[in-house]
This record gives sequence, C-alpha cells and structure tokens, in this order.
Amino acid sequence: MKKIVYVLATALLLGGPLASCDSKLDIKPVDSVAADQALLTSSDVEAALVGCYTGIQNAEAYGGYIQLMSDLLGDDGEATFVGTFIPPNQINRKSILKDNGFVSVIWTNAYNAINRTNNVLANLDKLDTPAKKARVEGEARFIRAAMYFELVRLYARDWADGTPGSNPGVPLVLTPTKMIDASSQVARNSVAEVYASVISDLTTAETKMLATSAAGNIFANNSAAAAMLSRVYLQQGRFADAAAAANRVITAVTSTGAPRYSLNASYVDEFFSGADLLPNSNEDIFAIQNSAQSGSNQLNTFYSPDQRGDIFIEDKHLSLYEPADDRLNLFTIGTGGQQSYSDKYDSQYGNIKLIRLAEMYLTRAEGNFRAGTAVGATPLADLNRIRTRVNLAPLAAVTLADILKERKLELAFEGFRLGDVKRNRESVHDPAGVVLPWNSPRLIFPIPLREISVNPKLTQNAGY
Amino acid sequence: MHHKLFTHLRLFLLLAACLYSASVGAQSRAISGRVLGFDGGALPGATVLERGTTNGVSTNADGAFSLNVQPDASLVISSVGYTAQTVAVGSQSVINVTLAAAATELNEAIVVGYGTQTKADVTGSIVTLTNKDITNAPVQTFEQAIQGKAAGVVIENSSGKLGQAIKVRVRGTSSVSGDTQPLYVIDGIPVQTDNFSSTSAPTNPIADINPNDIENVTVLKDAAAAAIYGSRGTNGVVLITTKRGKAGATRFNIGYQTGTSKATHLREFLNGKEYVELFTEALKNSGRSDASNATRFRGYAAGVTVDANYSVDTNWQDQVFHKGSFSQYDLNASGGNEKTKFFISGQYSTQEGILVGNKLQRIASRFNVDHQATDKLTLGANVSLSRTQNNRLPNDNAFSNPVQIVALAPITPLIDPRTGLTSGAFDPATGNPNTNFPFYYNPLLGIQNNAATYVTYNYRALGNVYGQYEFLPGLSLRSEIGLDLLNQDEDQYLARVTSRNSNPTNGYGFSAHTTSGRFTTNNYFSYRKTLADVHTIEATLGTAYEQRRSTGTSVTGTQFPSDAYRTIVNAATFTAGTSNSTSNALLSYFARVNYGYANKYLLGLSARIDGSSRFGSNQRYGFFPAASLGWIVTEEAFLKEQKILSFLKPRVSIGRTGNQGFPDFASLGLFSGTSGYVGVPGQRPLQLPNPDLKWESTTQSDAGIEFGLFNNRISGEVDVYLKRTTDLALNAPVPGTSGFVTQFQNVGNLENKGVEFALTTRNFVGDFTWSTTVNASRNLNKVTFLQGQPVLGSFLSRAQEGFPLGTFFGAEYAGVDPANGNALYYRNKASGDGTNTGFIDHGAGTTTVVDSAQLVPVGDPNPRWTLGLTNTITYKGFDLSATLTGVFGNKIFDGGAQFYSVAFNNGPDNQTRDQLNRWRKPGDITDVPKANYLSGNGTANSSRFVRDGSYGRLRTVTLGYNLPAGLVKKGYLQSVRVYAQALNLLTFTNYKGWDPEVNADYLASSGTLGSVTATQGNINQGIDFYSAPQPRTITFGVNVGF
Repeated sequence: MKKIVYVLATALLLGGPLASCDSKLDIKPVDSVAADQALLTSSDVEAALVGCYTGIQNAEAYGGYIQLMSDLLGDDGEATFVGTFIPPNQINRKSILKDNGFVSVIWTNAYNAINRTNNVLANLDKLDTPAKKARVEGEARFIRAAMYFELVRLYARDWADGTPGSNPGVPLVLTPTKMIDASSQVARNSVAEVYASVISDLTTAETKMLATSAAGNIFANNSAAAAMLSRVYLQQGRFADAAAAANRVITAVTSTGAPRYSLNASYVDEFFSGADLLPNSNEDIFAIQNSAQSGSNQLNTFYSPDQRGDIFIEDKHLSLYEPADDRLNLFTIGTGGQQSYSDKYDSQYGNIKLIRLAEMYLTRAEGNFRAGTAVGATPLADLNRIRTRVNLAPLAAVTLADILKERKLELAFEGFRLGDVKRNRESVHDPAGVVLPWNSPRLIFPIPLREISVNPKLTQNAGY
Repeated sequence: MHHKLFTHLRLFLLLAACLYSASVGAQSRAISGRVLGFDGGALPGATVLERGTTNGVSTNADGAFSLNVQPDASLVISSVGYTAQTVAVGSQSVINVTLAAAATELNEAIVVGYGTQTKADVTGSIVTLTNKDITNAPVQTFEQAIQGKAAGVVIENSSGKLGQAIKVRVRGTSSVSGDTQPLYVIDGIPVQTDNFSSTSAPTNPIADINPNDIENVTVLKDAAAAAIYGSRGTNGVVLITTKRGKAGATRFNIGYQTGTSKATHLREFLNGKEYVELFTEALKNSGRSDASNATRFRGYAAGVTVDANYSVDTNWQDQVFHKGSFSQYDLNASGGNEKTKFFISGQYSTQEGILVGNKLQRIASRFNVDHQATDKLTLGANVSLSRTQNNRLPNDNAFSNPVQIVALAPITPLIDPRTGLTSGAFDPATGNPNTNFPFYYNPLLGIQNNAATYVTYNYRALGNVYGQYEFLPGLSLRSEIGLDLLNQDEDQYLARVTSRNSNPTNGYGFSAHTTSGRFTTNNYFSYRKTLADVHTIEATLGTAYEQRRSTGTSVTGTQFPSDAYRTIVNAATFTAGTSNSTSNALLSYFARVNYGYANKYLLGLSARIDGSSRFGSNQRYGFFPAASLGWIVTEEAFLKEQKILSFLKPRVSIGRTGNQGFPDFASLGLFSGTSGYVGVPGQRPLQLPNPDLKWESTTQSDAGIEFGLFNNRISGEVDVYLKRTTDLALNAPVPGTSGFVTQFQNVGNLENKGVEFALTTRNFVGDFTWSTTVNASRNLNKVTFLQGQPVLGSFLSRAQEGFPLGTFFGAEYAGVDPANGNALYYRNKASGDGTNTGFIDHGAGTTTVVDSAQLVPVGDPNPRWTLGLTNTITYKGFDLSATLTGVFGNKIFDGGAQFYSVAFNNGPDNQTRDQLNRWRKPGDITDVPKANYLSGNGTANSSRFVRDGSYGRLRTVTLGYNLPAGLVKKGYLQSVRVYAQALNLLTFTNYKGWDPEVNADYLASSGTLGSVTATQGNINQGIDFYSAPQPRTITFGVNVGF
C-alpha cells in the first residue's frame, strides 16, 4: 500500500509539472505587442505613422534639442548658456567633446525616428485606400527627410564647404531594422547623397501629401514639405528653387480659394498665449504639438525664466532691435545688472512653431534677391510684410543685409543660426575670443563616441 | 479513501498522506536534569532531544528540563556555541550534563537549500552568521549588520540616506547587464529584492524584514553550494532562517534601544571671505569688469553690497545636516510543547536620518509555528507582516538634494532681508519663488515646512506553510507553498515654493501604486540512510515552480487649490498617468546526493534544470550541475594520536550556475503603443527579437581547506576560487543608426577569481574570554570579452575587455602648467584596437585640450582587499565586541568635483577649500589650475577627480552587561541585559569627500525604472555625486527576558 503512495507521489510531483510546463513558461507581455502582430492593418500602419511624429516631438529632436543646440553652436556672444548641464555648455563654447551627451542622443533619437518612418514606408501595402497610402507615404517621407536634413547639417560639413560629393555626410538607412547583424554597421554616405535623398523624399512627399493634414493642422501637409524643401535649397544656395518652393507655400489656398496661411496679427501672440498651452495659428505651416500629457517643450525648459532660465540673452543681441520692434516684447529685459531672458517659449506646454509663414516670406525675399527674380512678390514687399507686423516702418529699398538681419531677428532662437552662419559664411567667436570661420571644424558636431565605439565603419569628423 | 489521492491536487498530497500515519504507542518514562555551560553556569534554551526522534524540549532559565523518553533512548543535548553531546539514558532518571564550548559549530545543522547538512559534512563553500551578528544593530536591514563579517561577501551602502539599495556582492560582480545581487531565500522561499522605487534612486525591499527575527544567515558562495538554485545561483544565495519556538515555558523578551546619529564627516568649503577672494580672482582673470563683479556679488548677497564690512557667512551644509535619532521597540514570545512550538514577534523601529526630512519607520510582526500532527507528519507556517514608511529625499543629482546646498554662495544670507523669508522663497516682482536668487534652487525651501515630501509605504506579507511527511525512517517529503506580496504606495508633493526650474504649476503631485506578488511552491523528497555503518547517503529530489506578477500605476497632477491639498484628487490638471504589468515564471527540477564514507570521504553531486519564461523560445531550459569532494583528514587513523590538529578538511568543487536577472521579455521583438501624439494613438518599434537569449552561464571551481587547531581554539577556512562567466546577457550597445540603442545578446565573458581567509581564535577561555574573528578577501574581476566593444557607464566608468568592470577611463591629468596656470593632460598613446582608448606613455607629452588626450585607465573602483576583524571579550556579566572593517585599493570618482573643486572655472558654485591652492602667477607649482570664471580650465572629467577610496572603519562597538541572575530573579525576570553600541564610530581614510563608502544613488539603478540602465548601474561603481555620508550612530538599549 505504501509503495503505491510513493509511486503516486513521485509521479504527481515530477510528472505533473512536466505535462503543462511549456504553457506555464509561455508568458506574453501585456504592455507591448509582438512585432509581427503590430503592423497588420491599415490603422496599424497609420498608428505607426503617428509614432513617427512622436519621434520628432521628443526632447532630443524638435522638442527642442535640435533647435537649441543649433542656436548655441552658431551663437556669436548673443546668448550664453549658464546652466549646469555640461553638454549644452560645451556646445555654446564650441568646445564639444566626443562624449557629449546631447550630441549622442540627438543622433540616436533621429535614427530612431528614421527607423519608425522606414517601418511605415515598408508597410504601405497594408493601407486600404490609395488616398491613405499616398498621404501616409508622403508624411513618413517628410519626417525622414527632416531628420536627415538636421543630421547632415549638424554632423557633417556644410554643402558649400569643399566637395559635397566626397565629404562624409551621415549614413543613409532607408529600410526598417529587423535584426542586428554585420549589416547594421553602416558607413557614412556623402553629403551629396544625403541631400539627394532628402530632396527626393521631400519632392515625393509634396506630391503625395494632402493639402490639409489628416487631423486638423497637427500633421504635416504638402506645404510643410515645400517649406522644408525651400530650407534645403537655401542651404545649398539654390536660390531660385528656394524662392519657388517658398512661393508655393505662400500662394497655397484652401478649398474655398482663400490663402491657406496668413501672418498672425501679433508677433507676441504667435509665441505666447498667456496660458500653459499655445495652439497652432494661421501662420503655422508645421508645429510640434505639446500638451500637459504629450511632449516636452525643452525650449520652455531652457529659455523660459519661469523654468531653468539657463540661457541669458546678452545686450549684443538686444541692441540689434529697433526700439519700436514689437519683438522686443518677447524678452524679459534685465535692468541694474539683472539678466535678460527670451520669453518666446513661456507657454509650458506650448506648441513649438517649426515652420512659420514668416520664414517663407524671408526665404522668398532672399531667394528672389539673390537670384535676381521676383517670383510671387518683390523682396522689398516681402520684407516689409515682416517689418510692419512688428510695428517697424517699411523700408524704401532693400539690401541683402537688410533681409538677413530681418531673418535673424524674426527667427531668433528658432534653430536657424547655425545653418545661416554657414551658408552666409559668417564667423563666430568662442568665449576666449578666438574667431571661428563658418567652416571651422569646431562648428560641426563630432560623430558620437558611443556610435564610433560600436561601428568601426564610421569615420570621425576632423578635429575630434 | 484511496481514491482521494487521485482526485486531489498534488499540493494536498500531504494531507492525504497523513491518513496512512500510524499512531504512537509504546511505554515511556520520565527523566529530568540540568544542562550547564563549560563555565559552570546554567544554560537556558539548550535543546534536549531524544535521538532519532523529534521528541524534545528546551531547558528553562535554570538550565533544567524534563522529558518522557522511550526505554534505551539516547539524549542529544545541544546549544548554539557549544559542542553537542549525546548521553545514553540507560537506567538514569536524572541526567546532568556540562557542554563544552565549540570552536566551530561543526556539528550544527545548517541550511543549505532544500535541506540541511552538518557543517562538517559540507563540501561546498558557505558562510554562516548567527543572530548574534545581527540582533539589535542600529541599522535598517540585516545586510548592514553583517557588513565585514563574511569573507567573500562585500556589502556597501550607496549613501547615508535611509532605506536605499545596498550593494551585496558575493565573490565579485558576475554580470554586466543582469542582476548582480544574490538570491535571497527566507525559510525556503525565494523573496523579491527588486527595486520598485519610482525615482531613479533604488530602494531596498529587504528593509521590510525585521533583522531581529533572523535566527541565522547562510551564504552559499561556490557552485557546489549554489547550483541547487540553478539559473539564479551565480551571484550567491543568501538563506535566511527565522527564529522558531522551542518547547518549554513561554519566554518573553522585551527590547528597547534609543540613540542618535550624525554624519561621519562633512566636506569643507570656502567661507564668505575666501569665496569672494577666489571668485573675484576668477572673474578678473576672465576679463570681467570690477563693476560687473560688484553687481554680481550684490545679486548673490540679496542686494547688499559686498565690501570689507560684509559679514554674512552662511554655512549652508549645517542647515541640512542634523542629529538623527534611532529608537526601536521589540517584543517577542516563544515556547510551546512537544507537539506545537511557536515564535511570535513584533517590532516598531523608527529612525531619523542625518539629513533633515529623511525618516524610516518599520512596524513588523511575525508568527512562526511548527506542529507535530503525528509522528510522521509535521506542519508549520511562517508569516510575517510589515509596514515600512520611508520619508525619502531627492536623488543625489537633483538640485533639491539637500547635499547640493553646498553649491550656494556663503555670502548669500539664509534669510533674504528684502522679504524676510528663506532666500529664494519669494520674488516680489513675480509673486513666485525666485528664479535667479540664489543662483541655484535652495534645497531648504523643500525641507522647510514639509514643502517637498516623498513618502513611500511598503506593506509586505511574507508567508509560507509547509507539511513534511516521513514515509519511512529517513525518507520524507516536504511540500511548501509561499507567497511574497509587496504593496507599495508612493506619494510625492511639491509645494509652490519649490517650483524653481519648473514652471509655477501651483503644486505638483505624484502618486504611484505597485503590487508585486510572487507565489512559490517547492516539493521535494529527502532521504537519509546509513548503510553498513560507513556509507551515509543524503539525497534530495524535487521540483519548484514560481510565478511572479508585478503591476504598477501612477498619476501626476498639477494645479492644486492650495498647498494644504496634497493628493492628486485635488489637482485640476492631470499631466501624466501610466500603468505597467509584467510577469515571469520559473519551473525547476533539482536533485542532490551527498555520499560519505566512514565520515572521512565526502562526495556531493547536485543538478538543477530551470525553465524560465525569460529565456528565448530556442533556449527554454538550462542545466546546472555541480560536484564536490571533501576529505576529513582528522578522521584518519594516522592523525588520531596527535593533539595539535583537531580538524582538517580539504575540499574541492566545480559546477555551473546561471543568472537570469534580465527583463522579463528581453527575448521578444516588440512594438509599443506608448507613442500617442497629443491624443492621437500611435505606436513604434520597441525592441528587436532574440529568440536565442538565455541565462548567463558561470562555471566556478573552488578549493578550500577548513582546519581546527588545539582543540579548535584556532579554527579557520581558506578558499581559492575561479568564476568564469560566459554568454553574458549583455544589453549590448548596437549602432544607433539601426534605430535601436541596445539589444540583449548573449555576448561577452568575464571572470572573478580570488582568495578568502577566515580565522577564529579563542585567545582566552574561562571567566575571562576573548575571541578574535578575522576575515579577508581578495577578488580580481576582469571583463574578458565584449566583442571588442566597450560599454560606457556614467562619467568615466566603463566595461572594457581586459579590465575590471567599472574601470575609470579618462584623460590623465598632468597637473598645471607653471607658466600660465593651464590644466595639462598627458596625451598618452592610442591603443588602436578600436576601443577609442589608449595606454599610458608620458613620452607623448601633454596638451591643454582634453580631447587630444587618450582615454586611459585611471582607476579601478573594485577593492583590492576587504577585511573584517571582530574581537569579543566577556568577563562575568560584561561583554565587549568590536568590529573593524576595511576596504583597500579601490578608487572613487568624485563626480561633483567638476563643479566644486575647479576654482570657479565651471560656475559660481562654492568651492572646496583645497582650491585656494590655485595657480596665481608664473612659476607657481600647484595642481589647481588658474581660476578663470567659466573658462573650463581643468573642469573636464579626468583622472584629476579620481581619488583613493580606501578606508578602515570601526564599524560596530558594543558594550553590554548582563545583570547577575540572583538580582534578576528577585524581579521575577529571567534575564536583563543593558548595552551601549556605536556604529561607524571611527573612519580612517584619505578620501576628502563626505564618506568613502559611496555610490551615487541615481547612477546605481538596479532595475528598469532608473535614469540609467541596469547595465550602467552595474558599471557605475564608486561614484560620489553630492552623496550623503554614512551615519555615526550611538545607541543605548536594554533587553529583558521573563
């Protein structure tokens, strides 16, 4: 009798778990889904496209780091980073170390967003209508192009600096990553190849995207693609193309034939609503959306005196404005030795205005001026549109310097400095007073140390 | 009846099995007696057991006992610290016994995982600590009490904040990305030690355990001992046994202790005059005008001109450090009869930290019961319920971290004369807290009036029940079910006054709730048999199944009507909310056979098969075998005649253990739906698949020798070991161009090898006793293979092939150019091996550009030697015990030095006093560069901030007095002990920081919630970043037994 018990006990003890073991160990996550189950339907792919927007909404991209670091690196003593974060401090001093954390995360985040777009573009066949397919493809290409354009400007020599066909740009990855293997170690494509890819993506995007974005005006549309294209052409010195692209945005109309965009009546209102939130205005061609629950406005974090207040605006900058300039009202101007701050980003959860109509006027003005054309309007008319909005007297005649100065003030702290310094061949000073010409290696980010460490195919930039 | 067996679940097997039990029936007779210690005193609490049965009692306060035994019985009489003695009853009815002192507890049964073994028979490397080492230490967790007491077990606090994670390393760090803490098993049930903190500073769930409930702790160190725990054995296993009742009169014990604590050491900073002097020099050197400098200082000084008459000299550090307190109340009762024994305890412990606002309170209870249902069936339960309340402080890297107050200028007044409030509290211009005065957030704003609070409540239920059925003499089945349930509430509120560096949100609230439950069942057969008097066999065969599910939710809110409302329900805006859930399961089969021949030759074999839900689909089951041999030489005839050597046992072992301490779903390719964009749903790729992901595999060999000399007056143990870990489950960096940053891959190898010594000597015995225990360990850690790719931690820390984990790689500081005061760095030579590092070669000259200097190894945070020395002296009723600990040869990276030890080259932060030695004029020889405000001169993280972290510490001293028994008896008491003790009384170190026992909390994440990855958390060692020093605690206590 007892033997039976032992045998039973042993059988139950050892045999029982074995029979059902595999099911016990087969535990699936509930907070995420299997990759092969994620992109099956049309709405799956549309959701993945939304994820691309979140990728560029991140702090490390258009949530603020890209604009802020471009402005700090291109700064010539007009804005000083005084915070305790070491990476922006290095960038502001133009003494960047290879292990600079911001340099690293801007790179990895951009490629993360690019991989998101590549996943969308590889699954366009899942979309259930041709219209959806065109829209989704266009928007994904727009985002991919934007990231490559930022990468090539931050991490490589300027278009006009030497030979773009042989200057190393950044690696072009245009297919989704399914696994890590030897092919994951990619080499840098040339600057010219990156620009070509950016222009190809944006050109396709402009034709495929809708005139209005799918959900109100929070997603990019064909005007956003044209606007981004105008930036690319301007950076390349293709002034007629830039003016033409900008003109397409300015002249875009709604379904009722009214102009699609118009300048906000008040410059200050364009940036500060007096509340935590700042909605899109009619002037906004593409803005990064923020809310209390979504996004993090790093420009608010670093610039706003209500927040870290890590960037002091120097008198050198403030003195550039004419006294009547309404744009001065977006500064907290320190008196009696107090520091001055920009109030452009005082709305804590404010949308970040990435492409505004004002930029298009300035780009068309500059493009026309330098190309000797008057596509859409004369440079003088465009420039005066910008000036009269901020209570400045219209000019009677216009020079290139007028246009560039207006551009600098109108678009101050919106991420344009580094690109403009380079294409206009300006020079800047480091804190020690050393003059750095527009093509100084110190005005180019290093390829991040972590990236070089894991990918020997990447070559480091000069000076690092 | 029989059919019930078929229908019941196997967990009820035991209940069914009891039906077969036979009743006891034989004639017995009563005996009585008294047990005395070697010193002639009565020995209360000694166990008197009828040999071969579970029939036994404990002696009472007079050492007396009485018991009914079978005819021809033998009594086994034992007590901790004494040599057990066996006495044949024969015809005696009164038996008086005097027990001899045991040098090593060779005959004591020790827990070895799924069973017990006598120390003499153990062929693996283990170390056992008893409640004497743990009870009543003025600390929060038992780990802190055993610091320095076990060879090969290195225990380190991250800082002096209470309830924070504690680093425990058994024979070195064996993982880069995985768990590196040992497995903790309480009364047979593995418990959760994961960090559940919602901040980036990890906490320690072991703080929920009352150290005074612990009877003993066994640490399994080598593979022979730990392989029975399979895929979780690599980091060692800590087996905790809680106190159990003994038959006899119910004994009560009441304890109370109280005391105070203060910081072991504070760092020295510039006073007001020095600050102005050095800062002025730095400002002038940077080309700033006298006028702007005067404006600057006036700003710092709350609008008052700083001139020769200016007298404000605020010692900010003194504002946040205070005298902490410790008090603890304990009550326990134990007793029972021959059939049923119990132990119950309750504790209330409260401790205020050395930093204002830091507090830990614990209410703990325990109920342990054992019941002999029949002579075959034993049942029991161990239940512990506790609540731990931790008033936490901000992370080391937060502006609000109280220690960061040292950055403020000493010329800034404590109270702003313009507002009459604490500096920074109010800006009349905006009506909000000041955003640029003082120049950083003033941590006092959060501390004062409880403006910033972060309170964690842990409710912990640990319970298990067991049944053990003896089928035949020697063959039994034990079945255990255990549950570890951890509920954690975290509530944070930041009042309006703290809103600097964030928009004024009219209050900020955060609330998180975590539930983590782990269910475990163990079912195993044990078999013991002696054949032909010389062959002893012990065998264990069983299975275990564990399942854990953890869930958490949190919500964040802003816009509170007033600071009187501090809970989220009162928030007008909910800014964030989240939930998470994760699970895992582990299914195991294990077996062990120990064979002994003639008590001389010992062989141990064990194996475990672990199936884990964490492993990739191609690698579901791992196999972990071990083998060991021992030889008790002193049992040989040729050593029987000599008197010198009383015990000698060489032993060797080899085996394999695993580590599965990586995230639950690391092997799967995943998408995440966390990418919604302002209310529009979105998803994104989260993780790439790796179906081959498996456990980290460690093969460990160990050779040891245990010895006793002169009748065990001197005893000790020496071990050498080699732990080779392969298939590291590395969260390996991958090219960011892939869209991913890391992936868990089984790549990489590392090794730990070392030697351990433990020696106990009884220098005097008799009325005056003096014993000395010393242990020393040396572990050499080396990362041997990482595919040539270094893994970077924070600051200079990294994992790189050929170097110990966490080695600091940085530019080598070459001092100051006497000509111009510039910081110089050695260029050194590039190694050219693709790791972007170099080797030291000063022939390449120096540079002022830190990026032109190669990154070379500039320090190893791993200690060369760790030592512990305990002396215990007793004389009559007095006892004195002191433990010295030592950690030698490790380096510390002073992460805050770039701010406070750079002569204002990096900002206005107050500076350490050594910066007064800055270079001033050509020809000055110093290692502090020229002061040049914001110039970055010498501020780069380099070997300049690598310090020697060696220290020796008088860790504990205890002086106690046991009142004479005669006096005690007059008060109807059993025992009265009064004592005074000190923790960290003295520290000997060259480290100039706060305390050399340090690892910045926010960089030492042990989970997935931290600001750094688990990988970086393992690599980051010995980093100081405004981390709180250890407390020096002095307490007085009394224990009364009745």
